[in-house]
Amino acid sequence: MKGIALAAGLAMVLAPIGARAQTADQLVKGATDTSNVLNYGMGYNLQRFSPLTQINKETVKNLVPVWNYSLADDRSEESQPIIYQGVIYVSSNSATMAVDVKTGKQIWKTKVEYPPETPRIVCCGIINRGVAILDGKLFRTTLDANVIALDAKTGKELWREKAADIKEGYSMTMAPLVADGVVLTGVSGAEFGTRDFIDGWDPATGKHLWRTYTVPNPDEPGGDTWKGDTWKFGGGSTWITGSYDPELNTVYWGVGNPGPFNAAGRPGDNLYTCSVLALDAKTGKIKWHYQFSPNNPFDYDAVAEMVLADIKIDGKPTKVLMDANRNGFFYVLDRTNGKLLAANPYVKVNWASSIDMKTGRPVETDVAKDAREGKKVVVYPSILGGKNWEPMSYDPQTGLAYANTLAFGGHYKTEPATYKAGEWYVGMDLTDLWDWGTGPRGHLKAIDPLTGKAKWEVPSDIPRFSGVLSTAGGVVFSGQLTGEFEAFDANDGKKLWQFQTGSGIEGQPVTWEQDGIQYVAVTSGYGGVYSLFSGDERLAQIPTGGSLWLFAVKKPQKVAHE
Amino acid sequence: MRPFNWAAAYFAAVAMIATANAQTATQVAATGDGSDQALIDHGKMTYAEKCSHCHGPGMMNAGTITPDLRRFPDDKTRFFTTVKNGKNGRMPPWGDLLDDDQIGALWAYVSSQRKP
Repeated sequence: MKGIALAAGLAMVLAPIGARAQTADQLVKGATDTSNVLNYGMGYNLQRFSPLTQINKETVKNLVPVWNYSLADDRSEESQPIIYQGVIYVSSNSATMAVDVKTGKQIWKTKVEYPPETPRIVCCGIINRGVAILDGKLFRTTLDANVIALDAKTGKELWREKAADIKEGYSMTMAPLVADGVVLTGVSGAEFGTRDFIDGWDPATGKHLWRTYTVPNPDEPGGDTWKGDTWKFGGGSTWITGSYDPELNTVYWGVGNPGPFNAAGRPGDNLYTCSVLALDAKTGKIKWHYQFSPNNPFDYDAVAEMVLADIKIDGKPTKVLMDANRNGFFYVLDRTNGKLLAANPYVKVNWASSIDMKTGRPVETDVAKDAREGKKVVVYPSILGGKNWEPMSYDPQTGLAYANTLAFGGHYKTEPATYKAGEWYVGMDLTDLWDWGTGPRGHLKAIDPLTGKAKWEVPSDIPRFSGVLSTAGGVVFSGQLTGEFEAFDANDGKKLWQFQTGSGIEGQPVTWEQDGIQYVAVTSGYGGVYSLFSGDERLAQIPTGGSLWLFAVKKPQKVAHE
Repeated sequence: MRPFNWAAAYFAAVAMIATANAQTATQVAATGDGSDQALIDHGKMTYAEKCSHCHGPGMMNAGTITPDLRRFPDDKTRFFTTVKNGKNGRMPPWGDLLDDDQIGALWAYVSSQRKP
């Protein structure tokens, strides 16, 4: 890596003198700030697209590791790094860390502790998805449902607030969103009979500002979509970070599955489960909602990223929200009002034949009807969805959404569900879950948002559960559960490069430029939902072990000898 | 008046089923010899609810993230201790939620799936 170090030394770009506290205005400009990565999703729009071009179709073959940093953790590493002024902030379930980009050396590490009982109520991996940054502070959640603020310089804890109780089945894994001067957080727990919500906190003090429940009580709007007391255990978790449109001053947040999965006991649409909420960040007030999957029995959780873009529809520039929903349809909504613009299958779907464009509701098939009546069905997508949590990337240059999709179905049969605080509450047979088929179990797809059709797809026998990153250099980055970090041509999906990272990749790659060098960082370390639930014994030779990798293009040899 | 009766009836019905299952299991645990299919079935049910989200549905597991229980040694005492107290800060303790009969049923299920 001699070449890189020397090139860095020769670079004419001067680092800012003295660290400046990072501002709310910088967060707004995050998507175009190529020298930092300040937002989850690499911008409030969650596009995960970088305008940088030093790493491109020609140079990516020369991508080499700069350093590797051990997270000293053997759980799944799903944290998206945040980078500010040459420092990487990364998290695991057990610690928050600051690492110097130039040297790969740890600046500080602050441990996170939680009661040993906590993993009992965590459905799908002992993880953390990252920190948020504002004004010299980092914000993160903990597995035992606390929200904490740390001093970005020292790692010292500044405040801590308990959002919910693990005894009731709540946990937290998501990266907070800082929007309009408020720290927003969501919770996990819909598999344990919780009633879920989004919280707003004061970044300076941790003061609780508001709570918006995603399942209304009987006296609130939407309360009539639940029968009896079912709303009290209705789920609707909020475990992925929302997007934010500063101009419209609106936060877009996906809401998870209803509890229990078994829908027989909760007739009605069950608002706002399997929906997207448009919220006012200051107050948490709901501006509009759109429900993807009413009264859903199949765990078609809609928490995954709501990507914002301005695209032309019938020649008209339109502010849209895009979602590759777990239910198998790719949705495009008008984000000013929640109106449905397009909804097309992007994977095999058999529970619904289409989405009614007038009502926005799915046209369900006998598969959904039979499942509700308690018959055993084969359903596509499976309870893991057409795409799970792993975030896609939207490339405004190609107009394509790059997403790691799932190609298998599931066996579904309901069982009675008994609520006991802090215990599993799903009401389905968990002993025989999958309908694998014979082909590849996943694809990296380049999806046209308006048709759901793939321009290209790259199959994978063991599906990918990595986040996706695209760049103006025409390169798409992703990773494999078997450890390979990969680069593809954005136009045709041709593989351009790969590197074995030592454990499976379930992380979220990011890129930025520092001192004239474009870097790519990603965490390696597997142990997430597929590896826990699939029983895929082909992963038996994949070790756990979390680490953070940094990559850059190796300069030609002559530069190294100058 | 709120439409309350229906839900109450539903939960009551489910609770009755659950109670019936628990009673059957306790009776089986008291008399069974560990190879009893009813005991194994009860263990399988408890496993699906409490264990499968880490150890894999049907105990199918690649064995690198959490132990592959099909390879757990034939050591009942160790199994009980680990389930009750947890282990290595990874396996959570279950002593407050699972009684000896339930852990015994789990042991019967685990034993029934053992790979040589």
